[in-house]
Amino acid sequence: MSTRASNTKEVVMKWVFTACACISILAVALICIFLFANGLPTLFKIGPLKFLLGTTWKPGNDIYGILPMILGSIYVTAGAIVVGVPIGLLTAIYMSRFASKRINKVLLPAVQLLAGIPSVVYGFFGMVVLVPSIQAVLKTDFVRKTLHITNGKGMSLFTASLLLGIMILPTIITVSKTSLDAVPQSYYEGSLALGATHERSVFFTVLPAAKSGVLSAVILGIGRAIGETMAVVMVAGNQTWMPQGLFQGLRTMTSNIVIEMGYAADLHREALIATGVVLFVFILLINVSFSLVKEREKNA
Amino acid sequence: MKRKIALVCAAAMALSLAACGNTASTTSESTASESTASESSATAEAAGEEAAASDFDNTQSITVITREEGSGTRGAFIELTGVEEKNDAGEKVDNTSAGAATQNSTNGVMTTVANDETAIGYISLGSLNDTVKAVTVGGVAASAETVKDGTYTLARPFNIVTNGDATDPVAVDFINYCMSTDGQALATEDGYIGSDDAAAFESTQPSGSITVGGSSSVSPLMEKLIEAYEGVNPNASIELLTTDSTIGVSGALDGTYTIGMASRELKDSEVEAGAKATVLAMDGIAVVVNPANPIEDLTIDQIKSIYTGETTTWDAIQ
Amino acid sequence: MPESTITTGAHTDEYSASGARLVPSAKNRENRMSARVWALVMRWLVRLAALITVAVLVFLIGYILVMGIPNLKPSLFEWEYNSENVSLMPALINTILMTGFSLLIATPLGIFAAVWLVEYAKRGNKLVKVVRLTTETLQGIPSIVYGLFGMLFFVTQLKWGYSLIAGAFTLSIMVLPVIMRTTEEALLAVPDSYREGSFGLGAGKLRTVFSIVLPSAMPGILSGVILAVGRIVGETAALIYTASTVAAIPTSVFSSTRTLAVHMYMLSNEGLHVGETYGTAVVLLVLVLAINSLSGFVASKLAKGN
Repeated sequence: MSTRASNTKEVVMKWVFTACACISILAVALICIFLFANGLPTLFKIGPLKFLLGTTWKPGNDIYGILPMILGSIYVTAGAIVVGVPIGLLTAIYMSRFASKRINKVLLPAVQLLAGIPSVVYGFFGMVVLVPSIQAVLKTDFVRKTLHITNGKGMSLFTASLLLGIMILPTIITVSKTSLDAVPQSYYEGSLALGATHERSVFFTVLPAAKSGVLSAVILGIGRAIGETMAVVMVAGNQTWMPQGLFQGLRTMTSNIVIEMGYAADLHREALIATGVVLFVFILLINVSFSLVKEREKNA
Repeated sequence: MKRKIALVCAAAMALSLAACGNTASTTSESTASESTASESSATAEAAGEEAAASDFDNTQSITVITREEGSGTRGAFIELTGVEEKNDAGEKVDNTSAGAATQNSTNGVMTTVANDETAIGYISLGSLNDTVKAVTVGGVAASAETVKDGTYTLARPFNIVTNGDATDPVAVDFINYCMSTDGQALATEDGYIGSDDAAAFESTQPSGSITVGGSSSVSPLMEKLIEAYEGVNPNASIELLTTDSTIGVSGALDGTYTIGMASRELKDSEVEAGAKATVLAMDGIAVVVNPANPIEDLTIDQIKSIYTGETTTWDAIQ
Repeated sequence: MPESTITTGAHTDEYSASGARLVPSAKNRENRMSARVWALVMRWLVRLAALITVAVLVFLIGYILVMGIPNLKPSLFEWEYNSENVSLMPALINTILMTGFSLLIATPLGIFAAVWLVEYAKRGNKLVKVVRLTTETLQGIPSIVYGLFGMLFFVTQLKWGYSLIAGAFTLSIMVLPVIMRTTEEALLAVPDSYREGSFGLGAGKLRTVFSIVLPSAMPGILSGVILAVGRIVGETAALIYTASTVAAIPTSVFSSTRTLAVHMYMLSNEGLHVGETYGTAVVLLVLVLAINSLSGFVASKLAKGN
């Protein structure tokens, strides 16, 4: 009697567990369906080429071209990578191969704290500290007369890249550190035995061996940077023009959504959802390339 | 090959370092320059305007700050200054230059203008504080009096919007309260321009709950009105949702909101759909610049040419 | 000069001590010199990078604390929010409610899913691959996209309106991968001998899972849940279009609410209360950092326990 009851229970619970595991499939399916179902018709109503390659965004006149925002997102992300990857990677190398245990006891929690700071706090910090500082630097004679950078603005591609570069540091550091730590000690020792210095062994033996881990760190960083919203809105200036240079403002896809969504109606609102769909496609592409890199890592 | 990698690495590092170094060192620098700025403005006041003018480099390009599409403040501003014009086909076109930096809040505009001495922006008169300087428009200073007597032309109504006439007893009672002496006094107190000849208010004490939503410009005032009203009529509960003028009107029409808020005139299409607007108060739109900027007055045409991108530097303003 | 710096470096750096010395070779002295300079430069570069990381963190947190702490007035913590005191108390309570509801949904789902992946699923099962792939996808989706989805699905399609429950469901999907992943790792860390022992004593699979495996994996699971809490508390973009911005304690799950992070975003947008914005930032920052440190603490407890 009791065995049968517990048997039924076993079977039922097994299915409950399986069903729970399928929730993530369901969630992804729902997200895809709802975003595409809402975004694609708009895309075709506006015209895919007009929407994706149009350079003018004037919702008041039903002109919806998001090329400036697509480029804006790409530029800001590239800028964040230029700032974040060298610092993050070198920090990871330091933590993995140079720092003593005592130093790591401080560094590790510091990196975790950096990851935990909410993006709205980052954005606020960027708005009240970074923007005025950069504005002040751009006003100096040195920048204007010697470097010939005139008319630079505090709210710019540069500021956004800098802030995002800081924000992706934890991702870059933790992921590359994990892969650096995983490199067998024998590689390093072999290099030392051949007469290389500690630094040379780390940079030319350990680092290349962790290549694919570093690559996935960069890809994850790209994903984080391109999807960041609240921080970018506060520092990027959000002009609807085509990006004009390092020290001029621009608008990303995410900020386009968050700035105008609360205020939009009808086709304008749908066009913003379509912007979200384009962003989502970018993210999916990044995810796919991440899995490919991981797959290669497994096979190697 | 290896050396090349190292070189690239080092170069990238140095670049990011320079960037970080700059930001770190300039925080102290900017605080320093702030204090010098305030000092110099003090001396400028003493020495008259010319001293300030010589201090301000007016060959710099203007940082134009605008609000996002859909904002009631932007809608009213572009209409009143003529930045929005009809094209040959008779459609209204918003000619705001694509190079205008967009901020989605009054504060965003004020913070940017306060931090950038070349910036210009526009905000609700009620939100004006001394971190920024309001210029006179065509010689008229923005104030409650000039808006009321009509000499200051950059003014817009704060509307409360209902789908036809309000029927919900709480909504009717609340609107009556807003339009009464008490409600109008609250508006005037906040720097908006309320009506003088309002009637005294007597609540019918209906109970129930309603939702008010819409323009973020109106909502600070609405928040106060709701607090005061709930003090008068404890039976009612009113939920306030801050979105935007356009949503405020459409929300009132589709029933999401019992009462909508709009910081602009209703569009013809909205009136046709049955929206009915009641002017809660008038609000001036102040054109603001950085306090370090010596400019005192702009005409409507000058403002228009700045926002359409024809005028790009401060010395080009005649 | 460089010589002496290198030796000082060797004392502080763990790895340098393990004998990074060039074998002197008379015929290649110049090469050796440049190699040494290169090593020196690289060593200082990595240190500098680490220093920058720490400096940025210290500066950021320090700045918010210095600007914010003087603004922590008792009026900020008053029970009722109004336009005078801009109290963050309702937002704080909303944050707790939002976190509670989200966890109520996400924790069982995440743990059960992980149990299936680790204890039930057979090796090479196609479904496992799909589940892994979708979980990774979920992890990569930015919060603004979650916000859009939540608005389209929970708010509009299911007609829940801007509400606590719409926000909670959106967030629970967002943190699901975090909980799943940490639970999975914790379950994998439970030694197989525990399970074998339990089976040996005649316990069924289900009993083994609930009375042996899950309790021993508890610290790991807990640290995952706490991480999820940190993410929920700091979230803004996914909530603006799902739970909206009403600054009052909700009367039902269908009331619109405003969490602390959203409250801070609204304050910094309104700009009428700059001091209060800094004060709110301090509370938010301290809350999130405390939650994350707690997670680290629990995880290290686990490491010690093993």
